[in-house]
Amino acid sequence: MNKIGVFVCHCGLNIASKVDVVEVAEYASKLPGVVISKDYKYMCSDPGANLIKDSIKEFDLDGIVIASCSPRMHEHTFRGVAKDGGLNPFTVEITNIREQCSWAHEDPAEATQKAKALVRSAVSKAALLEPLEASRTPVTPEALVVGGGIAGIQAALNIADSGFKVHLVEKEPTVGGRMAQLDKTFPTLDCSSCILTPKMMEVYHHPNVDLLTYAEVESIEGSIGNYKVKVRKKARYVDIDKCTGCNECASACRLAGRVVDEFNMGMGKRSACYIPFPQAVPLKSTIDPNSCLMLRFGRCGDGPLCVKACEPGAIDFSQKDETLELNVGAVVIATGYDLLEANRMFEYGYGRSPDVITTMQLERLISSSGPTHGEVVLPSSGKHPTSVTFILCVGSRDETQCSWCCRIGCMSALKHVYLLREKLGEEVEINICYTDIRSFGKGYEEFYRNIRSKNTNFFRGRPSEVRVKKEGFLIDIFDTTTDKLFEIRSDMVVLVPALVPRSDSQELARTFKLSRSSDGFLLEAHPKLRPMDTFVNGTFIAGCAQGPKDISDTVSQACGAASRAVGILSKEELENEPLIAWVDPEVCVGCGVCVEVCAYSARNINDVTGIAEVDEALCAGCGACVSSCPSNACTHKNYTKRQLVRMIDEVV
Amino acid sequence: MGITDLTSMAEVETEARRELNERLLRLREEASYYCYQCAKCTAGCEAHKLLELEPHRIVALLKRGLVQEMVNSDIIWTCLSCFKCKERCPQKVAPVNILFALKNLAVASGKEVPGDYTAMLTSAMGMGLIQDVQTVTTRGGETRTREGLCLPPISVPTDPAKFQMTVMTVAMEKV
Repeated sequence: MNKIGVFVCHCGLNIASKVDVVEVAEYASKLPGVVISKDYKYMCSDPGANLIKDSIKEFDLDGIVIASCSPRMHEHTFRGVAKDGGLNPFTVEITNIREQCSWAHEDPAEATQKAKALVRSAVSKAALLEPLEASRTPVTPEALVVGGGIAGIQAALNIADSGFKVHLVEKEPTVGGRMAQLDKTFPTLDCSSCILTPKMMEVYHHPNVDLLTYAEVESIEGSIGNYKVKVRKKARYVDIDKCTGCNECASACRLAGRVVDEFNMGMGKRSACYIPFPQAVPLKSTIDPNSCLMLRFGRCGDGPLCVKACEPGAIDFSQKDETLELNVGAVVIATGYDLLEANRMFEYGYGRSPDVITTMQLERLISSSGPTHGEVVLPSSGKHPTSVTFILCVGSRDETQCSWCCRIGCMSALKHVYLLREKLGEEVEINICYTDIRSFGKGYEEFYRNIRSKNTNFFRGRPSEVRVKKEGFLIDIFDTTTDKLFEIRSDMVVLVPALVPRSDSQELARTFKLSRSSDGFLLEAHPKLRPMDTFVNGTFIAGCAQGPKDISDTVSQACGAASRAVGILSKEELENEPLIAWVDPEVCVGCGVCVEVCAYSARNINDVTGIAEVDEALCAGCGACVSSCPSNACTHKNYTKRQLVRMIDEVV
Repeated sequence: MGITDLTSMAEVETEARRELNERLLRLREEASYYCYQCAKCTAGCEAHKLLELEPHRIVALLKRGLVQEMVNSDIIWTCLSCFKCKERCPQKVAPVNILFALKNLAVASGKEVPGDYTAMLTSAMGMGLIQDVQTVTTRGGETRTREGLCLPPISVPTDPAKFQMTVMTVAMEKV
């Protein structure tokens, strides 16, 4: 015999202004199984909760129906109230008479009638609710951070400082990422590597950080609290215990100055064995198998010069890739961004003249560790430019390329105006072609105002074309502030390209089973309230992998993601959500349809029994397997067919 | 290397722009380059309503360095000098003072001053005032005198010759 209590909330006037709550409560009291029915102004308040708890004791209730707002708002609250009152939290049924009733309808009489039907339906289900117990899984107190840029470094340091072991996986031979390529950072003009390298060193020396550079995640299995990760450590062909970072091998290499230097964005050349930049961490040489003659053809003249040059004898061409297996409880993905290939905007001349460069290339030209040691010169002639024109939003806010704003382009161009004036003197002509200047961050507007005073020509508009001439460029631009068409003559053009997802982001998303938004960046679980969470429990995202952002926002998000990960690692055991799928072993034929439809990899067929199983830690309770099971073997706990049919019967 | 207005084929005059901005700085005004073209000045401009003056466009042309185009234009003489643009500018730019500077440049380059301006100038030089307003009519149609409004009498130059000399000296400096 059921003893159900019904509690109807007014939600101030949100519900009560359309639904006659007193009448609904009165009506509910006469429904079969209902022993108490009450209405209250704010059921989620403390007195409201006490009303429920007292009623549970007084009437010895075994089921509760709450007619209130959406369960998305207060399901957690009311389950807690039931538990405090001594009831199984899963014997609470919430029916939404706010969003789906009082807010949606005009006529009070009809709204009240609908509220009654919803309560009737919920009461019928409450009578069939099953008390559920959450199972528990132990947690592996270690974390995996993928990507060794500023986001990954920050996340790894925060987790390590909280006392947990972190495996930091970086695919390049050094940590540092994009930030290591920058010269100065806006708006404070801090030297990028000066503020980054201490963190790189810290992550290298931290006792809780296991730094895995030149390595990539191959596969990941398992779920929140217990992931099994396979990491491939690529062969460096250098014994890093012996290598002293002296870089003699690079100077000796037969290909010295002949291999395109990706760290310098193609602005310079390196050797086949190389250390990407002087502050690299770890400061160890790496031999690039795509260019090294020994590794490509098995011979290098009359013997590899690097081996001769290397005093400690660290070069080892016999090294093979290694695969490591790691067990971790939480994952942070911080894989960063790529820049749009600037030659996709053919009209801007990138690739047709070496003097059309991107902002990232200009960073390398300005940087003292760059190919010109910080001297800003025209790549074609080696002379100083006399007129530099920046074109902002190259591919950004462009429906034919990237519809989004890159969030850093305006400020990076303004920063470059400052640095170019510093390097080339006040007399250099600087033109900025912009669509809008978005200087939204702290101190950004002040910086923009300061740059405006620096005799810079701002043209509001996008140039139609950059025409490459014998001497420099001609740029046509219609300036909407003067309503005039201008022709700019410049000898250097700097394009500010859009920020795009990493070229391998689709593969990465597949490996980690993450969703991507329509722009290709990794999708967060909620843009405002769960910005670092993904739809995979225990896997978090930080930095530009989630979407374009500046360093300040990246660091904030990395700290947030680390804190979310630590929240998991600090628990000995995790409680699994009990509202998940369940398989009736008597009915299941092991066809495997559920395995295919499951987006969370929570389903598998048991090798021994041949019957489908549910991983309680992974199942998100989405119901995809339930609706697709051809033999009706699969049910969703407390959303059983019997329960749902009863509910429908009551309302129709 | 240079910028050309492709409609008029005028070259951008960076030197004239610099000079004009320096004049504004001497007046303790913010230079034109801070303007971000919100057009709040034009939105409130009294001369815009009647005579199509667009102060924000004046600032934009100055930022671009198209000074001669403005000096040659009659539109600069339509400013009523109400100073509302200066009062309300969020970037502390004073279009009204840019217009004064442009008018001074026009006079200095020998341009003819429009007729109404000459009449005003004669009046100002003669009695120290553009208009000797003694009474006003309210919205309700009543006539009020300065005395009735408790305003002091208008002071006029005691020594007209000395006054004219001083004005001429200042004017010469400006032009």
